[in-house]
Amino acid sequence: MRPLRLLTCGSVDDGKSTLIGRLLFDSKALLVDQIEALERSRGTRNRDGTIDLSLVTDGLEAEREQGITIDVAHRYFATARRKFIIADAPGHEQFTRNMVTAASRSDVAVLLIDVTKLDFTADELALLPQTKRHAALAHLLGLRHVVVAVNKMDAIGYDATRFRRVVAAFERLATALDIAAFTPVPVSALRGDGVVAHTENTDWYTGPALLPLLESLPLEEAKGDDGTAHLAVQWVTRDTDDEHRRWITGTLSDGAIAVGASIRVFPGGDAATVMALRTARGDASTARPGDAIALLLDRQIDVARGDWLMAEAAPATGSRHANAALAWLDDAPLVIGRRYLARHGTRTLPVRVTGIRAALDLEAGRWSNASTGAVAERNAIVQAELEFAAPLPLAPYTQSVARGAFVLVDPGTHTTAAAGMVA
Amino acid sequence: MTARDAFLNAASSGPSELRTANPHLDWLENEAIEILREVFGSFARPALLCSFGKDSLVVLHLARKAAAPGRMPLPLVHIDTGHNFPEVIAFRERVCAAQGLTLIVGHLETSIARGSIRLGHATESRNRHQTVTLLETIEANRFDALVGGARRDEEKARAKERVFSHRDAFGQWQPRAQRPELWSLYNAHLAPGEHFRVFPISNWTELDVWQYIAREGIELPSIYYHHRRPVVERGGLLVPVTELTPVRSDESAVERDVRFRTVGDISCTCPVASTAANAAEVIHETITATASERGATRMDDRAHDAAMERRKKEGYF
Repeated sequence: MRPLRLLTCGSVDDGKSTLIGRLLFDSKALLVDQIEALERSRGTRNRDGTIDLSLVTDGLEAEREQGITIDVAHRYFATARRKFIIADAPGHEQFTRNMVTAASRSDVAVLLIDVTKLDFTADELALLPQTKRHAALAHLLGLRHVVVAVNKMDAIGYDATRFRRVVAAFERLATALDIAAFTPVPVSALRGDGVVAHTENTDWYTGPALLPLLESLPLEEAKGDDGTAHLAVQWVTRDTDDEHRRWITGTLSDGAIAVGASIRVFPGGDAATVMALRTARGDASTARPGDAIALLLDRQIDVARGDWLMAEAAPATGSRHANAALAWLDDAPLVIGRRYLARHGTRTLPVRVTGIRAALDLEAGRWSNASTGAVAERNAIVQAELEFAAPLPLAPYTQSVARGAFVLVDPGTHTTAAAGMVA
Repeated sequence: MTARDAFLNAASSGPSELRTANPHLDWLENEAIEILREVFGSFARPALLCSFGKDSLVVLHLARKAAAPGRMPLPLVHIDTGHNFPEVIAFRERVCAAQGLTLIVGHLETSIARGSIRLGHATESRNRHQTVTLLETIEANRFDALVGGARRDEEKARAKERVFSHRDAFGQWQPRAQRPELWSLYNAHLAPGEHFRVFPISNWTELDVWQYIAREGIELPSIYYHHRRPVVERGGLLVPVTELTPVRSDESAVERDVRFRTVGDISCTCPVASTAANAAEVIHETITATASERGATRMDDRAHDAAMERRKKEGYF
């Protein structure tokens, strides 16, 4: 069983840090000296004298001084039913890259909506632009669940009607973005209503409170498992015994594999049979997606880091060309035609972006055709055409994260310039 | 039933129940092995930084699994402050000999003799000074990646640490210039003189570590478990009585049942009161603990709430 990896997104003062602090505090993941440290630091009290729980997650000195969160922070807590890994992504506009980063390693997005920022006098309630951006990014990165935490309910007198109007507005957004399922929860992170359990303030809401909801969300074991085993080769080693047989290691994706299976090497297409398998637990007859394995083939084949082993049924030819969504992360904008480095699987190879076809308008949730000479600035999401220096066994990101995801690295500065998802 | 009750029940009913109580350990183990194989496959001169404390011993165990059935491809690096618990040094020698591991020791004394470390006074804590010796050891051996046992749940600054954490030519961590880390596609590109610190157990908690030690039967230095030791109570901590931390004139030593929760420089590592004699009993105590690991045992972190962030920026572990 995997831990549930949780992305929390919201703006600076939506109460996101308070919500995480509340989850940790109420599930007793905070210990005495951490609470004492909070009490010792400056300005840690809310106006009513209770501890400011948001400071649990605002870690770095620089952030405390500015009162903002500058990078993804990870938090851990467990209940009797599940272990949780929280990736806390800053919600501020210029830090979209942090949200993309956190979302790539998450199963669920918890999206905060601050009800005090919405204009309830309008006929049709409008959500804030940042909420639309967060929802669009969560969808783009393929998160299976979106939990909408409607926060600061205490500030509007726990008004059920207003809560329902927020839900209706999010429903329209979900339809526009093609988000299949979301679950709303009314909460007050400050007061604790609706977080671990509903209180008399939110008992008009019949759905589960946030924590019981997160505990019960189903988690698919392998995201985008199309049933055909693939292994990106990480490292090749040799037996310590006299035979010095070559063992090929990597993490299995997309499908199961068993001793006796026929596999093919990519590139090249050489065929072989799996003679022996090892998982973390030692010798094994089968391995499942997500297992870190070592395997022995029945014949000597030239296999090295960067290559793939794949089930015989998988397509034998790769492609040098791809259409992909690129989330541009670097400060320097994308230069069309420039040579970047791509990391796909365990292989790093040169790549060029040959053109931009469309740009994602995050607030409208729509792709619009790009004009000639369009560029991608930091935080832009574009649909681009790429040319890799060699064929790769690409697959659509929605089918396989292992073969559909890649990153671009700037060869000069070595910064991670973009996150790519094959269309 | 709360999480603590669930784990307590599991911890008190033996190893097989312990295993079933932690289904996520397999996931954490696979993730750590994948990260270690990235190191094996991506770097020319990697090494495993090992204090011979429980976290680095868990990483060593994982590294041997990641390498199996091949040979362990990394040497071990120990930064020796000269202020060690003798039990830990004896353990180090025995484990390295038994497992055929290559050990490189960076001695603080060497840096002191060279003049790159100047102590305020002879018996002060050497914890903070380890950074200098560590960076000198990295340079002398031209290491390009150091694998370590840091966990994100330990401390606020570490919560923002990458799995592959880039260090500049001065060994510095630059929190504002960290590379985004997407999926498991780690960016391990380096310029000359730079290196990486790699943390395979980033996502583990203290409880995960102990449950894994129990499940795998990983051997630890004896001071991790119950023993009797003379201590003085000072500022809420139990300070062990040693040559470096003698009894002050207004104090008296008492013999107490203790164990250590971390292994560090002898002059700044304190035990906790405990009678836990094995990993299962430690798990039981960990679940009922009311003070976090560093808070109860490290004098240096108490100085300032941002103490760790400042040390990390200078190139600390």
